[in-house]
Amino acid sequence: MLSHYLTMTLAVLKRRPFYTAISLFGISFTLLVLMVITAIADHALAPMAPESRQDRMLGVHSATMWGEGNQWNSDAGYLLFDRYARQLPGVETLTIFASYQTVTTYLGDQRVSSALKRTDAAFWRVFDFTFLEGGPYTEADVTEARFVAVITSASRERLFAGQPALGKTFEADGQSFRVVGVVDNVPDIRMTPFGDVFAPITTAKTDAYKREIMGGFHAVVLARTTDDLPIIREEFNARLTKVELPGKDFTSLVAPFETAYDSLARESPFGDRKDPARQGAKLTLFLVIAALLFVTLPTVNLVNVNISRILERASEIGVRKAFGAPTRSLIAQFVVENVILTLAGGAIGLVLSALVLQAINQSGMFAHSTLAVNPRVFGYGVVLAIAFGLFSGVYPAWRMARLHPVEALKGGPAR
Amino acid sequence: MTRHLVRLIWNRKRQNLLLTIEILCAFLVVFVVVLFGLTFATNARAPLGFETERVWTIDVGRPRALPGADAAANEANAAREREIFTRLLAAARELPQIELAAGTFTAPYVNATWGSGVTLTDGRKLDFLYNRVTDDVVPLLSMPLVAGRNFGRQDDGAGTMPVLINRALASALFGDGNPIGQVIPEKPDPKERRDPSEPAPRQKRVVGVMQDFRQHGPYSVPGMVMFERLQLDAAHGGVPDRLLVRVRPGTTVALEPILVRRLQREAADWSFGISTMDHLRERKENDYLMPLTVLAVIAGFLLLMVTLGLTGVVWQSVTVRLREFGLRRAAGASGASVRRQVFAEMAVMTTFALLAGGLIVGQVPFLPLSREMVSVVAPGIYVGAVALSAAAIYCLTLACGWYPSRLAARIPPADALRYE
Repeated sequence: MLSHYLTMTLAVLKRRPFYTAISLFGISFTLLVLMVITAIADHALAPMAPESRQDRMLGVHSATMWGEGNQWNSDAGYLLFDRYARQLPGVETLTIFASYQTVTTYLGDQRVSSALKRTDAAFWRVFDFTFLEGGPYTEADVTEARFVAVITSASRERLFAGQPALGKTFEADGQSFRVVGVVDNVPDIRMTPFGDVFAPITTAKTDAYKREIMGGFHAVVLARTTDDLPIIREEFNARLTKVELPGKDFTSLVAPFETAYDSLARESPFGDRKDPARQGAKLTLFLVIAALLFVTLPTVNLVNVNISRILERASEIGVRKAFGAPTRSLIAQFVVENVILTLAGGAIGLVLSALVLQAINQSGMFAHSTLAVNPRVFGYGVVLAIAFGLFSGVYPAWRMARLHPVEALKGGPAR
Repeated sequence: MTRHLVRLIWNRKRQNLLLTIEILCAFLVVFVVVLFGLTFATNARAPLGFETERVWTIDVGRPRALPGADAAANEANAAREREIFTRLLAAARELPQIELAAGTFTAPYVNATWGSGVTLTDGRKLDFLYNRVTDDVVPLLSMPLVAGRNFGRQDDGAGTMPVLINRALASALFGDGNPIGQVIPEKPDPKERRDPSEPAPRQKRVVGVMQDFRQHGPYSVPGMVMFERLQLDAAHGGVPDRLLVRVRPGTTVALEPILVRRLQREAADWSFGISTMDHLRERKENDYLMPLTVLAVIAGFLLLMVTLGLTGVVWQSVTVRLREFGLRRAAGASGASVRRQVFAEMAVMTTFALLAGGLIVGQVPFLPLSREMVSVVAPGIYVGAVALSAAAIYCLTLACGWYPSRLAARIPPADALRYE
């Protein structure tokens, strides 16, 4: 039966190439836009090195402190993590690191800007960076405040013209660092591990950060198992209720351990920063509504073209009806036809999105991004194409099945 | 004639309803792009109020004050830091390549903004962009003053706080009256908890009116601005976050490390990050133009899709109705008149879609969610965007009818009547 539908579909599509072209253009363009957005979101949020154990990770990326008439939104401070996030149950490793800071290195007449991230030694055990040269700095390097650094291969390119960098020194923000390791690049849309240069937290110009509960720092835990994640979240939230807040202006503090996506949702206009519960669902709801609004126009367009195509084939339908074909099989035939068409459009869209993603990588819109149509994104694409096909095929199919056989035989409905 | 057309459309209502919805969606898409584009274009025509040629911004990172420390300790710390800052300015001015150096909290094209507001004695509340600057910022950024003068040494020890305001704030405060020398009629906020050790805030006296200061660049929405004088050698006023310098023509990047090292010598535990204004401006303009470009490209392809789709649908419906057109031709109607009928039907349908679209976009400014938007988009631009998008949609649908209507008009009546 399906092969029969397939043959029919090809015959029909070949008969009116203009309509086929319009449909394919609309479908492939719509899916292209959705796929590119999906691929970017996937690149930002799905597990990949150096966050391949993301399913066991939670982080604190935003903190809110408030009292009557006052609200302070930022990231949390070192003291908060140092005092309250250590020895949480179910945690394999905890890392505390600073938000990156843009620093400048002058090489003769050239200025090189780098994102400098100061971290503890546990950072290298939580994130699985691939070392191209050397290795991470150690606990001793951090406690002794040694001026050592791990740089990415892009930094090696910029600072040392791509030559082996191990043991060489460079200056950044008035401090001189010795390279102990070189790692693979991190795309800047991977907000949590992103950096060009990594150095011990203790090399900061002052140790004022050690006394602050708000500002400048992030913490990420690697849990023993995924089952430990809710326990970690709850325990830390419970501990935060006991934090002594500075001054009289602030009475409450919220800084939950959560996934990068939940954190994004928390900081979006749809999230509630004062609510320690997960915020992801609100952002998801918005994104689904936005996607539905975006596909409205392409869907209506495709429905219109489809109806025209059906009316074109009114006599064929009339013949089938006159010979007793049930409504169901007519609907099935048309929906299958439409899904095949959208899958074909999806295939074109997939090729186009690979090209567009390549162009985005080269444009430097996202630093060090390696956007690509990976198997997961391909899977999303197929699902999107089928959903779009069903979405735009059902109403025209219903119209087609309702055609009166006599009218249909005469070449279409009077109205 | 119109009634007849409406009846013809009503007879094919189901198909035409879908077409109308498609045109309506297309209108909404065009409207969003046109609204953004028109707003940006209008904003870009207003003066910026500053020039950034040869200006560098140096972000000054200081160790943050300890939270919870008492006010006296904080103020002592700030006084020490203001002293350091004064030395930084002097050090920068000593370099022969540097024309001017000044301290400021926010600067053109940087992301940080400082908003403030006052409650006036007549009960009105005004919100504006706020900044504290040293005396050299106005000449350094070549900011034109339309009235009055810049701050200067003559303001030292004045009983009132000298401020510069922009024209928008001047007219909001004083209408057509002369703002120079006026004190801003501020109502003290009874709820504000103030540390007793701090002196009562000084009244603000307008010494000059600047043309404008549109920090976020040419596409940003013009608003109200107030600059307060920052006197580094007086108590209170905080420590500026940025150091601006204007370099002499022909100065290259080679000066940057020299300047940073020189500044670092004055304050070893501070950080200095230099960016040229050209770089910051480019990044800021990109922030505005990139979303619009992406939106416009997507909208362009959507419209192309709609154009092709509508052409296909009209073509098909013309083919189906060839007998009807043949009958009209046989009854003596000219080809041109048949063609006009196709166009007129399209126009009536577009009108319906646009009425619905107008109704929808007409509601938007009154939604509670849109309060913010109303302050960003002027009503005139909103109406203009509706008109412009409506015109664009008429052109688009008529273009879609062009080829099919030609087909309808050119077919000989005898063929049309026989057509199956």
